[in-house]
Amino acid sequence: MIRKTGGRRTWFVAALLAAGSLFATSLPVQAETGVSSREIKLGITLPLTGAASPGYNKIGNALDAYFKYVNDNGGVYGRKIKLIQKNDEYSPQLSIAKTNELILKDKVFALVGPLGTANFTAVHKSVGIARRKVPALFLNTGFSGFANKKSYPTSFTILPSYAMEAKIVAQFIKENLSDKKLGLVYQNDEFGIDALGAFKDAGVKFDVSIPYTSGTQSAATAQTWVSQLAAGGAQVVVFFGVTSATAPLLAVSAAAKYAPQWILGSVGSDPLTLRALGVPVAVLNGALTPAGNPSPNDTSDEYIKQFQEINEKYNNADFDDYVLQGMNIGLMTVQALRAAGKSLTRAKLIRAMETKGSSFASVAYSPLGYSRTSNVGHTGYYMAVMDAKGDRKPYGGSVVLYTTDSGKGPVVKSNFKRPAMPAKGLPTN
Amino acid sequence: MELCREVRPAVRKKILLFILLGWVLLIIGDRVDELRVYQGAQIAMYTIALASIVLLTGYSGQVSLGNGAMMAVGGYAAALTLNNLQTPIWFAFLMAIIASAIFGAILGSAAARLSGPYLAGTTLALAVGLPAIANQFSFLGGEPGILFDVGFPPERFGEEFTQYKWFFWISSVIALVALYITSNILSSRFGRTWRAVRGNALAAELAGVNSSRMKILAFTISSALAGLAGAVFAMNISLVAPGAYSLALSFALVTGAVLAGISSLPGVGFGALILVAIPEIADAIAGSLGSADKLNNYLPGLIVSVLLILSVIYTPNGPGENLRKLLHKKHAK
Repeated sequence: MIRKTGGRRTWFVAALLAAGSLFATSLPVQAETGVSSREIKLGITLPLTGAASPGYNKIGNALDAYFKYVNDNGGVYGRKIKLIQKNDEYSPQLSIAKTNELILKDKVFALVGPLGTANFTAVHKSVGIARRKVPALFLNTGFSGFANKKSYPTSFTILPSYAMEAKIVAQFIKENLSDKKLGLVYQNDEFGIDALGAFKDAGVKFDVSIPYTSGTQSAATAQTWVSQLAAGGAQVVVFFGVTSATAPLLAVSAAAKYAPQWILGSVGSDPLTLRALGVPVAVLNGALTPAGNPSPNDTSDEYIKQFQEINEKYNNADFDDYVLQGMNIGLMTVQALRAAGKSLTRAKLIRAMETKGSSFASVAYSPLGYSRTSNVGHTGYYMAVMDAKGDRKPYGGSVVLYTTDSGKGPVVKSNFKRPAMPAKGLPTN
Repeated sequence: MELCREVRPAVRKKILLFILLGWVLLIIGDRVDELRVYQGAQIAMYTIALASIVLLTGYSGQVSLGNGAMMAVGGYAAALTLNNLQTPIWFAFLMAIIASAIFGAILGSAAARLSGPYLAGTTLALAVGLPAIANQFSFLGGEPGILFDVGFPPERFGEEFTQYKWFFWISSVIALVALYITSNILSSRFGRTWRAVRGNALAAELAGVNSSRMKILAFTISSALAGLAGAVFAMNISLVAPGAYSLALSFALVTGAVLAGISSLPGVGFGALILVAIPEIADAIAGSLGSADKLNNYLPGLIVSVLLILSVIYTPNGPGENLRKLLHKKHAK
């Protein structure tokens, strides 16, 4: 009797185990973080308030506006995109806290367009973006260090790097301004040093070279820069820093009647920020700058025209470079999500970026460098000249595109034709 | 001998209590999700920082608003040690303690001559000015700061053992040891002398206490604790940057200490918990009022200020003190 009961119990336990394991194996595969049958959750950190916010704070809403437009037109394979914006005030430690919230609390599927070199460097390390295998698409920074696919296997840049920018500017100087005395003002962190190395490699020597530490820019420091530049007789001054440093530099120079040919890096030549800092945009008149995108006022461009329409309906912000950048990141994100397929996973998204990313439609003129071995986005610039309103036109009347890499590769003139804007701005790839 | 026999069980009890606390933390760390683990590490960090204020203000009676600056000294010392000398982590923490203690001793020598609002003003100026120094010297990394990477958790803990759990473990152990040492210092001869000086400096001097030396000592130890907290903070966010040790941090710490009960060491855990909870509460409030980004930006500061005012009015010695009084009343009845 006893034996019988014991046997029965064993059978019972075995049956229970078998049934349990059957049930366990028949459970549906666990869904990917941040993806449901109806929704894809994406996150972005950017400065919505604070000193660095003017301009940048428009990117999130523009991105969201584009996603809303796509959602209203069927979403991505039926899923609506939900964008969560977090304000990091451009401070790295806040970026870390906010990205932690995005990944651990809001459980987003991927990050799109996170902003700032120091910010993303800190976030990548601290939050462990690579170890968690979280895709970070279209970083809004040109630091060439992010182009290291081994260190940043799940991150993808979009802007050409500062090194590429400097190499192209160096080439332009050699071709057009080689007989002039040269001056350089640069921010002595990853940003400016990236550029400095590229100038050195290109063999461009500056007669006056002035480094400054981020945060120290002011009218008083600009005064010392201008006197050094003027004393050195610099006729062409290249500037690699942020717009809050461009502003006092140009204002002080104008007051001192010092008028060299300015070549402003793409980061430090934003008219909107200048205006926000109380400097008349007219100081930009005649300044040269490397540019990747067409002017946001160029309505003859199919991308600009479509984005302006979406902006009017869904965003209602002044259409400028920042809104354009936000919308374009949206366009590329949707293409990446579509390329990853209907059963969306983080791994598939990264694979899609590597295998199909280089064929995505994007407003910028230069080719995209994504591949299995490269996470680099756009790879080139054209030189533009700015007018008194801060608007830009291609130097010499038409776009002459230069492409290069962040390393020792040559700078070459390119005839690349970017892919056409998808019909109605809705990707079908 | 009599005394020794009396003291020993108490010491043993205290050690056992701290070990038990460590076990509880360990078990909690295994049960909760990663965000909570990360917040747990932050709570441990705040606990150390608040202990430094309790020691300085609660016991030795010196008001300092510059704790954020002390933390910055510790954070930068640890990061510079680790990055330039490639030392083990513990050595970086040790350097943080030494550097901030030296800094505290120097500051304390000046502070011993000041009191009340003058001291508060001086330390406030320090909180504003010191982190900005990072912008002046390139080896301090300017506004973006420098990375502070203590490395991945040891492999023997397994793949499931996350980076944040590693931070939580290190922070908790450091906090427990720091609290144990602090509680011993406070219940020692020094703690009693500090209280005597705080109560009446003149009377203490007449009793043979060198009050300014005691004040400097308090500043030194408090600063060492703050520096340690600064290094733990840097580890948790893998970064030292001037923005991390802001004036807002100094103010938040003072609020936390007041909420904890400025002269109550056991209260620091509660104060630290509130400091970490405030952004969460702000988020919840802002969320319930719709997606108000701007509101969410200013709400934590508002909550800190309101809590500070309320606690100064209603519980000047911290809610712990009120609770104790309430219990006493019940007992008396």
